[in-house]
Amino acid sequence: MKKTKRGQLQISFAWIFAIIVGAVILFLAIYTATKVIKIGDTAVSAKTGKEISVLLNPLETGFETSVVTLITMPVETRIYNQCSISGNFGRQIIKISQKSFGEWTETDLETSSQNKYIFSESIEEGKNFIIFAKPFEFPFKVSDLIYLTSRDKKFCFFQPPTRVKEELSDLNQENILVEDEECPENSIKICFSDSGSSCDVNVNEFQKSVEKRGEMMYYETDALMYAAVFSDKTTYECQVKRLMKRTNELAKLYDEKQQLLSVKQGCLPSVNLQLLAISANALTDSSNLASMTSIVNEVNVKNYITCFDKFTVYLW
Amino acid sequence: MKIQQMAFMLIAVTLFFALVGLFVVNVLFSGLKESAALLEEKNAILLASKLSNSPEFSCGGAFGTTKVNCVDFDKIMALKENIKEYGNSQASFWGVSGIEIIRIYPVAGGNIVCSSETYPNCNKVELLKPSSGTGVSNFIALCRKQAKSDEVYDEEGNFVAAYPYIADVCEMAKIIITYEEVK
Repeated sequence: MKKTKRGQLQISFAWIFAIIVGAVILFLAIYTATKVIKIGDTAVSAKTGKEISVLLNPLETGFETSVVTLITMPVETRIYNQCSISGNFGRQIIKISQKSFGEWTETDLETSSQNKYIFSESIEEGKNFIIFAKPFEFPFKVSDLIYLTSRDKKFCFFQPPTRVKEELSDLNQENILVEDEECPENSIKICFSDSGSSCDVNVNEFQKSVEKRGEMMYYETDALMYAAVFSDKTTYECQVKRLMKRTNELAKLYDEKQQLLSVKQGCLPSVNLQLLAISANALTDSSNLASMTSIVNEVNVKNYITCFDKFTVYLW
Repeated sequence: MKIQQMAFMLIAVTLFFALVGLFVVNVLFSGLKESAALLEEKNAILLASKLSNSPEFSCGGAFGTTKVNCVDFDKIMALKENIKEYGNSQASFWGVSGIEIIRIYPVAGGNIVCSSETYPNCNKVELLKPSSGTGVSNFIALCRKQAKSDEVYDEEGNFVAAYPYIADVCEMAKIIITYEEVK
């Protein structure tokens, strides 16, 4: 009896030991596998973010008025468009989340760049994204603005002015429609004249304002008008501030150029770029853009310096 | 004895799985490093082909009509003076560690680095001087304004007068973008 009891105790202890250690091993294996999958997902998201950022490089326009390109993702993707105004130029931040096993991956990894300006909703979702870029000139070229939209979203420009109609038709972008009669259902309707409450976005060309979800955004030039149409207010205002920071730096650069031409070639520096730099740097939100217009127009008209009393040299 | 055997067996199994796990992680991350290096290279190649069109570099309308792959030498020299605003080789505005422009034709006076004193009689502009890394280059037109004069002589060859004017001078150059390799 005694022997059996001792044997029973021995077997049961062995079993208990095996079960506990087995459970620990299994737990560790599952935990590690989950972690590895998560790291893999994070790596893919970070890689995709960087890839998007790199793919935006060819969108720098030369003499083109606009460029369109398509980005196709292997799986359903969310692009988080974030913006920061810290530093001399601010930062464009992109975060990517992709669907893995039916769930959105979460990642803290982000790709940032100082020389890109992406206008979109703060989260764009889809498998295919259409990117359209247009240069922003204020009065010199400041940057190419990148408008990112999901192909699943349809934008209907309702009765736009001829120049907008021509430009959008030339783009031939499949998710942008130009209609004079009626916009299709489930499309985002952008109105240029007061067309009642059926409009999702109202563009007021006289006030140079865009009203979206009850919020007002102000613009100068068509490039910023499209920017306001395609993005939310937070993104738009932040990117406008970043653009003004670059305008300030470029104004200083052109001022330095006219000083250099004065020293080296005997030209007379005469363009008041300091005022433009100061007013660009002082901009707090898009409603201040209108106050800069007169300075910008004045600088644009007098975009030249005189050399030897009779030769004009253009700065940009 | 049995417990001892089992314990050893379990330790062996755990070690085996741990080693397999480490191998998998290693394979995963070596692929990631390769991807990062490839992306850096791709970024530099695309940037080299498009940087000359960015507003800090491009000729714009300063030399007549808008030109592609045309860099304004005067503007570049102004940029060199303000380059601190655009970061350094560790964290630059363009996201690369080096940007250099080398005049390749006509070549005059060896490898003179451009500064406010040597400009325009120089051949190399070091905007962001790279400490190390791989370079990618692209050909560009390097244009500047140059004061010249038409000299007038009489029938006997005596100097009569000089009429200064400003000319557009465009020369052949190379833009070199350097990126840090992922280690």
